[in-house]
Amino acid sequence: MQTCPKCDYALSNEVKYCTQCGVILKKPQVETRAKSLNLVIVFYVTFLLFSLISYLIYESSEPSLALELTIESVFALLVIGFSLSNYKSILKLYKLPIFDNKIVTFTLLFPVLSAFFVSISIGYLNEWLFEVYYDNYYSEYVYLSNPILWSFILIAILPPIFEELAFRGFLFNELSNVASQRVTIIATAFLFALVHFSLISFIWIFPFGLLLGYLRSKYNTMWYGIVIHFIHNFIVLMIDYYNYNSELVVY
Amino acid sequence: MEEIIESTENLQLCSLCKTEIELDSVFCGSCGFPENGTDQQVNIFHRRLSFNKNQKREADKKIKSARNTLYVLAGITILFSTIQFFSHQDTATLITGFILGVIYILLGSWTSKKPLMAVLLGLLLYVTTIVISAIVEPQTIIKGIIFKIIIIAYLTKGVFSASSIKN
Repeated sequence: MQTCPKCDYALSNEVKYCTQCGVILKKPQVETRAKSLNLVIVFYVTFLLFSLISYLIYESSEPSLALELTIESVFALLVIGFSLSNYKSILKLYKLPIFDNKIVTFTLLFPVLSAFFVSISIGYLNEWLFEVYYDNYYSEYVYLSNPILWSFILIAILPPIFEELAFRGFLFNELSNVASQRVTIIATAFLFALVHFSLISFIWIFPFGLLLGYLRSKYNTMWYGIVIHFIHNFIVLMIDYYNYNSELVVY
Repeated sequence: MEEIIESTENLQLCSLCKTEIELDSVFCGSCGFPENGTDQQVNIFHRRLSFNKNQKREADKKIKSARNTLYVLAGITILFSTIQFFSHQDTATLITGFILGVIYILLGSWTSKKPLMAVLLGLLLYVTTIVISAIVEPQTIIKGIIFKIIIIAYLTKGVFSASSIKN
């Protein structure tokens, strides 16, 4: 049973309008959609501006650990800030899933294959199409006193935690208010690929995002996505570490 | 048995949506039509209905404009990258332009099925390309600024119009 907010008349749960005064009982879906839509646009534009400002700061400053940590902290705070707007439904996604052998095996094996595939193929593609040589992620941190530790934190640990919270947490929840689960998976994967600012990376990040979105939707947890993202980034980093040291030995 | 007969006797059909409503109900609980209401309430209902239909028609027009905007963007991107290729032998711009063009075309055709998401993604893709171009060449942010504003305005209108209609 529900009661009309205007005339207090007792009504069944199925009705959309009060049968006595005619007032609309259920909040129009349009309003919820507009609110979620505004949040999605503000969220995306904020991160676009954040990326632009971070890029300009990196370009005009000497690389330092303090700068890296400040930018990462601002990113984390922004993600947490947006997530707080709907923290109850996001917290549910951190509940540990009931483990199933098949999905656990897939979660552990898939990122190993994807990391090797990406490290090898994207490097060649970039070189062949754009004559740009593959960036070695590890080499960007060699100026630090403990590059392997810091690159591990900044590449393998932080992005899986905060990117998953941003895309499969906040963005997924907001988009599912305006679209079906299938369309939400496609849209989050598209935006996830877009914010990586590389058209070639789009080729693999988009399907990668589709998979993470599908797992988030099917199992209602972010843990599989976080683990896959972590293993993928960790192996890419280890391949880069190996390549960097091999090149040093050659020279 | 008597109870069933009694309960059906207390019901009538809404003349607009044919949902069963109780005899003492003034309004239909499903569509809000004032079945047993005054003439004034019926008039207000019809005015609201006609307003909603006009709003839907307007929204459809704006979605169509947004769809055309996505196709125009696809054409311009492909044309510009082809010119760049022939004038500067710039393969990277050609590939990038073609991939972007294809994405805009796909989003444009998706607007007939999922207008809200297709136009929203088109808008965010366009804004992202402006930001990436600004990173690569800062002066590009000023170039064609009026054109950029018009494109963003058309796509934004399309997004909010699509969100205002149910499907």
